Amino acid sequence: MRVAVVVGTALGGVEEGEKVLAGSRRRRRLRDALYDGPGHNLARWLGSRGPVVTVSTACASGATALAVGAELLRRGEADAVVAGGYDILCRFVMRGFDALRSMTRDEVRPFDRRRSGLLLGEAAALVLLARERDAGPARLGTLLGYGSASDASHIAAPDPDGRGLERAIRAALRDADIGPDAVDFVSAHGTGTPLNDRIETAVLKRALGARAYAIPVNSIKASLGHTMGAAAALEAIMCLQASRHGLIPPTLHLEEPDPACDLDYVTGEARVLRPRISLSTSLGFGGCNAALVLEGAP
Amino acid sequence: MITAPSIRALGLLRGTADRGGVLSLGRPEREGDRFRRASRECLLALAAVDAMLEDGVASRATIAGERTALLYVTAAAYVASNRDFIERRAGGTHFAYTAPVVVPAEVAIEFALTGPYAIFLGGAPATLRAMAHAAGLLERDVCDRALVLAVEIFEECADLYARAPRLLGRPLVEAAGCLWLERGRGELGVESGRGPRRSAPGEMLSCGPLADLADWRRGAQAGPLELSGWWRGETARLAWIEPPAGESAA
Repeated sequence: MRVAVVVGTALGGVEEGEKVLAGSRRRRRLRDALYDGPGHNLARWLGSRGPVVTVSTACASGATALAVGAELLRRGEADAVVAGGYDILCRFVMRGFDALRSMTRDEVRPFDRRRSGLLLGEAAALVLLARERDAGPARLGTLLGYGSASDASHIAAPDPDGRGLERAIRAALRDADIGPDAVDFVSAHGTGTPLNDRIETAVLKRALGARAYAIPVNSIKASLGHTMGAAAALEAIMCLQASRHGLIPPTLHLEEPDPACDLDYVTGEARVLRPRISLSTSLGFGGCNAALVLEGAP
Repeated sequence: MITAPSIRALGLLRGTADRGGVLSLGRPEREGDRFRRASRECLLALAAVDAMLEDGVASRATIAGERTALLYVTAAAYVASNRDFIERRAGGTHFAYTAPVVVPAEVAIEFALTGPYAIFLGGAPATLRAMAHAAGLLERDVCDRALVLAVEIFEECADLYARAPRLLGRPLVEAAGCLWLERGRGELGVESGRGPRRSAPGEMLSCGPLADLADWRRGAQAGPLELSGWWRGETARLAWIEPPAGESAA
């Protein structure tokens, strides 16, 4: 069986790069410092004989990895794909996000009027993708569609109108061959930065129309932090687990809703609801936008 | 099998100036305040797209918009910017330039590309996979054209790369290329495997397949188009089962 490995990362092995530049002479360090090093290490550890792919669309990397993995299956390059994302915290990333002034000293409060920024988290999230006919009955769900679009507006800040995210959502729905009425739940990128949450709310209203107000929306970044390259894969797994367990996790620390963020956010406690089809959105540095449409296993 | 894309145009810049064992491309000039702080890899990417438009005798308007997909590939172009940030040769705002995404972001902004995108990290197999991915997007009508952009620079970190002779071939040749693919005919064969490194006249990493394609277009390789590459023990091969539309081996 040809098992491929497709991982998404924003920062790859940059911590190894720090060690190389600090004077480490270990030859292996330089290989691992290149951002595709960890993906190859994972493939070696798994004994994978299929393609090894690393994608890096910043904080949308996990979504891109799932889409590229699905494409490898579609064109017959692999029989199964281990796909997802990871990122670690190190001095490099903390210093960088600090320079961007995007981190909060408060709690992370997605969609709250007091929200003041994000906190970073460390995570790795992987799924096993297989073709429908090979998946067997134990499946967690199905990746129905994927869409991506570029903002083409700024190298570090999102397009204030969110046009790229809107195009990505529309493309994902088209790829899944469904309309907004079929969507039961939205896992938002929801970083807790003033700009992101306002843009995302406005985009969901444009892309989903009146349906946007009837769909529960959450962000798990207040619980887990912004895990960068892992975030979209982690959130995709959360969507499928919500379908399996009939529970949607709450958006922590959302206590005082922002009037500009007026959707049905899940707050306080987990909501007892079994979404069949979920939409998961991601925005990344460099104007990367991605959306996944996922269906929980019946 | 997927439908083979046709090749509309290719822009490729290859380093020639020998600087410390690296054939360098230098820093291209570009007018505009926006480019004052832009990294060298970003400027080379923009120059590669310019070269592609010139090769295709096409205007910027032809590629602008949401029906153009942008697929960027690199193995190491971001390392120089990472080094500047880690060694504090650049300020905090330079952090943006350490991300691989900044290169396609600059290209998307400059040429108003708002369509699908993906960024593949790795050597030649990553570029071949980006081409196959582009073929899939074209086949499924997700876009009308796909640009596969690859950039590699080495000069700033030549001392580090000298420590990894088994990973990188010699000489290190800086390159930047952009390939314009459209819907084609025939079939595209895609293969992956494991194997030894093949000998090459210079190490261009992700830009290698674009250089091979440029050679094929010049007639240096006879027969149907076939591209292959190696990186970290992995091999990949793309074969146009029929020659791409509008192309023939000279």
